[in-house]
Amino acid sequence: MKKLYLRIERCSGCKRCELACMDEHRDIDADKPRTRIFVESINERPVPVVCRHCKDALCVSACMAGCMQKDQNSGIVSNQGYLQKCVGCWMCIMACPYGVISPSDNGAMVDNASFAQALKCDLCPKKDTPACVSACPNEVIELRDIQE
Amino acid sequence: MRFVIIGNSAAGVNAAQELRNADKDAQITIVSSEKDMAYSRCLISRFLDGRLKADGLYFKTRNFYHNYNIKPLLGKTALSLDRPAKAVVMADGEKLPYDKLLLAVGAGPIRPKVPGLELPGIFNFYSLEDARRIMKYVKDKLVKEAVVVGAGFVGLEAAYALCKAGIKVTVVERCAQILPAQFDHISSEIIREDLESLGIEIILDESLTSVNGESAVESVTIGEDTDIACSLVIFASGVRPNVLLASEAKLNISKGIVVDEFLNTGDADIFAAGDCIEIEDAVTGKRQPSATWFNAVLQGKFAALNMRGEAKRYSGAIGIQNSVQFHRLAAISFGMSQIMDEDLDYEVISHYNKEQKIYKKLVLKDNLLRGMIFTGDILKAGFYAALIREKIDVGAYKHKLLEPDFSYAYFRKENFGQVGSYAVTPSCWQSPSWFAERSLCMGIK
Repeated sequence: MKKLYLRIERCSGCKRCELACMDEHRDIDADKPRTRIFVESINERPVPVVCRHCKDALCVSACMAGCMQKDQNSGIVSNQGYLQKCVGCWMCIMACPYGVISPSDNGAMVDNASFAQALKCDLCPKKDTPACVSACPNEVIELRDIQE
Repeated sequence: MRFVIIGNSAAGVNAAQELRNADKDAQITIVSSEKDMAYSRCLISRFLDGRLKADGLYFKTRNFYHNYNIKPLLGKTALSLDRPAKAVVMADGEKLPYDKLLLAVGAGPIRPKVPGLELPGIFNFYSLEDARRIMKYVKDKLVKEAVVVGAGFVGLEAAYALCKAGIKVTVVERCAQILPAQFDHISSEIIREDLESLGIEIILDESLTSVNGESAVESVTIGEDTDIACSLVIFASGVRPNVLLASEAKLNISKGIVVDEFLNTGDADIFAAGDCIEIEDAVTGKRQPSATWFNAVLQGKFAALNMRGEAKRYSGAIGIQNSVQFHRLAAISFGMSQIMDEDLDYEVISHYNKEQKIYKKLVLKDNLLRGMIFTGDILKAGFYAALIREKIDVGAYKHKLLEPDFSYAYFRKENFGQVGSYAVTPSCWQSPSWFAERSLCMGIK
């Protein structure tokens, strides 16, 4: 199962990972890009916070539309690409202990009878290496394949 | 093993899936009086206004029962339990023998007792079938005006959906605010403005007196003598756990089916989960029904483990855990979102920006977070919810709990039962001159 692994002492807080993440997900975010990796801070020291693609993911249990699923092969937890569609109910945002799911605030979606979406890390399925990993100049973020 | 599950929603379906994942050979049967395959009850308003088709409500795929080798008995009603014979007696006379039984029978809508309830044009808003009936009635009778009784989640969802369909909606609520169980006064006012901006009229502090009409609904009377013309009335004045099956079988009943921390009913072979049970709330410590989707899913999963004899203790029931966005405004309430009793030891930290419609409130006691309300900005809400759920001491951070930079980063050693994602940090990272000596600290020459 793939997971991101962080060495925070290497992080300079440049936020290139956030930018790369926004850029990678432009097609989902439409007019307002959002990042799925968050460079937070503790006493002015940068600390990135990422999705863990949990084994017993609470966001999956909380999802009332059934769109948030954990892929049994890759281990990736995502609400995109399934038959069930995200309806923007935000239960996953309430459930995620790491606070790494955010709402798209596309007002147009509310009016066009489609739904705002919960945005989260999908480990960039179109790429071999996630965009944040490639973008980091300091090798803070590493993609590891681990046994769950 | 023969597992029988009564109920085909969050708790029942997730229990069945969990049972199958753990046991390839078990016989698993799901019984439900509803004909539809497992759908999300919380989404029926999005079906009512046409934003979702029926298959958009199915939270499992169409071939779920086949893929998981689960026998669905849908549209069939369980009449009674024959506990000595360990069998479920169906309405059609069939007997379903079980080794372990799960009651995931949900809750049902309640109505205030007022004159006129027999008139056509009055509906509950609880099932997909209710939504279909309402849609048909709206279409056949060209409904232009509707009244929704109750301003809880269900009522407001219904009101929003009808409003989207071009119907003039009036909501009548007997409490002094909308969403009285989940939100406090300030947050409920913000949500009310969001709804009223669409033209939904909300009348607070008034009760329904009667429903009036000759051969169908023509108006309702609220309070002493205020009439509101309408041809459709939706009752959304709350739900009550379905306990009949359990009480007739002499299981322990209070407000709901009483279960222990293993979700067992007291009969070693009968478990219960979801909206039908009464269980101790992890935040308030009070025994109460726990009717939310999230609780039901987790209870279904824990019940499945316990039905297999794994003795997994469940203690995570939190009655209030709701997220909502009717129109443009997102809001989340969790745990003790309002201080109900006279206990003066609670501390409240809040932040309110009226212009931006952002309101955040945290309730604390003894350095532990007990409840929260986030309105307008729900980012990181789950992190705060985890601090509440896991009872993590936040005493050291009291001054910055609602600061923008307060985040999970402070608690990164807390893994909440998951695989960690941080490598061990070298001690030099703590040094005041860390940034200058960063490459040294990283071990780079």
